[in-house]
Amino acid sequence: MPVKITVDIFSGRPNPSVELTGKEAQDVLERLKPAETLTADAAEKTATPILGYRGLIVEPTGKEADKGLPGRIRTAGGNIVGRGLAHRAADPEFEDFFFKGPFKKVQGVTNLRGRILQEVERGRIARENLALKLLPFPIKLACLCAPLYEPNWWNDAGQKQFNNNCYNYATNYRSDTFAQPGQAAGAMYTSLTCASVLPAAVADALEDSPGANNKCPAEGHLVALVIAPGWDFHWYRKGRNGFWSHKPGSTAVTNQDNSGNLIPDPRTANRGPYTDFCTFMVVKHGHIKIQ
Amino acid sequence: MGTSKSSEHAQAYVGSVSVFSGRPDPVWPLGEEQARRLLTLWESLDPWAGGAAPSAPPLGYRGSLLRGGGREWHAYGGAVTLREGPGVETRLDPGRRFEKLILSTAPDGSLPHPFLDQELHA
Repeated sequence: MPVKITVDIFSGRPNPSVELTGKEAQDVLERLKPAETLTADAAEKTATPILGYRGLIVEPTGKEADKGLPGRIRTAGGNIVGRGLAHRAADPEFEDFFFKGPFKKVQGVTNLRGRILQEVERGRIARENLALKLLPFPIKLACLCAPLYEPNWWNDAGQKQFNNNCYNYATNYRSDTFAQPGQAAGAMYTSLTCASVLPAAVADALEDSPGANNKCPAEGHLVALVIAPGWDFHWYRKGRNGFWSHKPGSTAVTNQDNSGNLIPDPRTANRGPYTDFCTFMVVKHGHIKIQ
Repeated sequence: MGTSKSSEHAQAYVGSVSVFSGRPDPVWPLGEEQARRLLTLWESLDPWAGGAAPSAPPLGYRGSLLRGGGREWHAYGGAVTLREGPGVETRLDPGRRFEKLILSTAPDGSLPHPFLDQELHA
């Protein structure tokens, strides 16, 4: 029964592979027969995807199914995992066997052969050192999709800080244009009221979410629009830790309100002259366009 | 960081107020006489010796500014801070005279007076 062996190593490019038949294929299947059962930790390390060499994927390609193997298995570090499998391989040195033998038949990697072998060694070490911390289920993080609070990235006292305002910061979109709601869509606000700025933001593809009640959305992140009636608008964004931050005009990003307090909810924060709380909105990453 | 050279009065100076968040802050050009009066006033101010200069809350009025010749003066709460490249110098501004003198040069209608009045006349 023929088998296809794929070196699972690349992320963007197709992985190199080779198909073996006859006695070579039979030899591979014999070497990969399951031996003793793996511990949960060893099985997890073998199955956990990492960048770089992740092991060999072996899949029978013939019509006859081998009763000792599932359809597709992964082997790394002498372990094999697959559907119903989490075992040591009968030959724990299978990868050495493969790279010294059948690997030489892989086409199209002539210039990469040395680098692949180096990466295989690096991947082995990485996998051995992989520290797995099982997260409790269900996972409870405040706002998994929200942007990080990284004020230093914006507060450069230069191009980024001076040319990006509260709208840029809240949407996490650096335009260097001091972005105005609706401008990119040709539907800029006409007065400094909730009724005018809100639809302008919707035109930029922000989604109105008046019932969000300070709760993070399943997709994207939460922002809040407030107004100094007749004078100005202002935006806040909710961060990954559940607290809000903002960038008042060309000044520095801060996570404090006008009383110097952290901001668990912009509706109750000291907002100075921005007395009108308009709404919560959702920014879906990659959807919006502002200018 | 003195500014006593008379030739610099001919340079272009602008006044501004740090007040908005979403909209761009107002900026206006200063006449030569207005700039001269401000620079003369700056020269007369005593060094700040009271620890950290006062800082404004993030939202609302945050002070008035004078810019020109690669320098920026930021006036707020009784102190004026001059930034020129990496250099920083702060001086006392009794009665907020420097801060108010900048604001007095703003064209009519350019300042959000409810913001400023609340701060300056508190």
